Amino acid sequence: MDIIPQLILNSIIAGAIYAMIALGFNLIYGTAKFFDLGYGALTAVGGYAVFYFYKTLGLDLYVSILLGVLIVGVIGFIVYKLVYSPLRKRKSSGMVLLVAALGVLTALQAIIAILFTSQFQTLSQNSSSEQVFNILGGAITQTQLVTLIIGFVIMIVIGLVFRYTLFGKAVKAIGDDEEVSKIVGVNTENIIGWVFFIGSAIGGLAGILIGFDTGIEPTMGLSLLLKGVIACIIGGIGNVYGGVLGAFLLAFIENFGIWHISGEWKDAIAFAVLILFLLFRPHGILRK
Amino acid sequence: MWKNREQMPILETKHITKHFDGVYAVNKLSINFEAGKITGIIGPNGSGKSTLINTLTGMIPIDSGEMIVAGAERLQRVKAHEVASYGMTRTFQDVRLFEQMPVIDNILVVLTERSIWKALFEKHGALHLEKAEEVLKKVGLWDKRDELAKNLSYGQRKLLEIARVLAMIHCGVGDINIIFLDEPFAGLFPEMIKIVTGVMKELRDQGKAVILIEHNMDLIRELSDHIYVLDSGELLAEGKPGDVLARKDVIEAYLGE
Repeated sequence: MDIIPQLILNSIIAGAIYAMIALGFNLIYGTAKFFDLGYGALTAVGGYAVFYFYKTLGLDLYVSILLGVLIVGVIGFIVYKLVYSPLRKRKSSGMVLLVAALGVLTALQAIIAILFTSQFQTLSQNSSSEQVFNILGGAITQTQLVTLIIGFVIMIVIGLVFRYTLFGKAVKAIGDDEEVSKIVGVNTENIIGWVFFIGSAIGGLAGILIGFDTGIEPTMGLSLLLKGVIACIIGGIGNVYGGVLGAFLLAFIENFGIWHISGEWKDAIAFAVLILFLLFRPHGILRK
Repeated sequence: MWKNREQMPILETKHITKHFDGVYAVNKLSINFEAGKITGIIGPNGSGKSTLINTLTGMIPIDSGEMIVAGAERLQRVKAHEVASYGMTRTFQDVRLFEQMPVIDNILVVLTERSIWKALFEKHGALHLEKAEEVLKKVGLWDKRDELAKNLSYGQRKLLEIARVLAMIHCGVGDINIIFLDEPFAGLFPEMIKIVTGVMKELRDQGKAVILIEHNMDLIRELSDHIYVLDSGELLAEGKPGDVLARKDVIEAYLGE
């Protein structure tokens, strides 16, 4: 089997996952303007919710996934209402919100570990018998193919919502100037609540898809979040399209970077790219 | 005190006070704004004009005193997101737009459905576009509708802010009755000034309370039905512009500086 088509395919798959993470993160960051570390833990919440419904309760696969996504969205919304919203009303600084978000991350991870143990779990039933497709000389599993398709569908849907709906305009307006949005009658509190719901649900879905592809563990969120954040920074933080662009760029650099070396170098390469961007192009590729 | 609804002020302030580090920016100010009138607020720089508007529109909290909206709603404090629901809106001295959005989106966002569920799925309808076209044509920015707000000239930015106010009146939350304009004419060309004065007179004739902060005395004289003169956060004089602007203490405090 040729290596280059496989590397390209791997990059696209990883890119789709990173893009989803980046999309959710950027949505929240661009609107609420703080670094939501807790968002990372929500990917694990999604994975474990599906684990519970699908594996423990034995519900239908699609019902489980739907419930999982909804639950992550609702938890994201509740966390906003209970933690971030009161702090933002008090005009707390970004640092206070960051620490609060760190608390949310730690608490959610701990709760998952208490409920499900810290053991690595996988969501797929029988991974050995999974269908493998050949595309352009590279191998891709059914799960990965589904991940790709879902990833692209989400990107397109979010893109369309932002471009064409009044909700999308309101979200952009809040990101631009929240105070003025209030003055002109945009219901900022409601809209930010929805942004947390939608952003969290996207992150949760990414976690679920990873759970089917490789597996889940309570602490999976932080490294995923960091990849999403790197994608956002190199693409252009706060810019929804920038995040997606950065995600694929990052995935390609990572996967081609380890062409001749061991896979453990992936993270080192990702952070090296981050540092280079922070030094030489801190606004990312697409400026907001 | 009030005889009938007609003469009841639409917005009153009672002993509104705001101080910064011991300096009173607004000191026990009690003034009234009436519907269907343009009320001018003048005073030297730092006399508390903008601070007054900022407190009344929830941008900064009030230290003490209260405001009464439509004779009914007594408010010790108002929050920025409630301002529109009390029927108030404003423009800013240092124009504040949604810079990263096209001109037309700056208007469309104001026309957003309050029900999020609807807004989530609803594309801006023909009605919204029609309204947006109407207000943008009124201020002469329809041709610029696809430009980003940040790329407009200073005067155009001011006009877009006026158009946004108009959009709120057309389609915003509840009824917008009270409109604060913080130096809307500063930096405008004569033909732009004509547009804004036209809009203001129209709003007045529709029964809105228009509150104008302005330094240009010719425009104050031309537009105001009633003026308040502030000095060091206190009320120095009030009345018809012709009378007030002729007063010696007013001239000394402000015009003769």
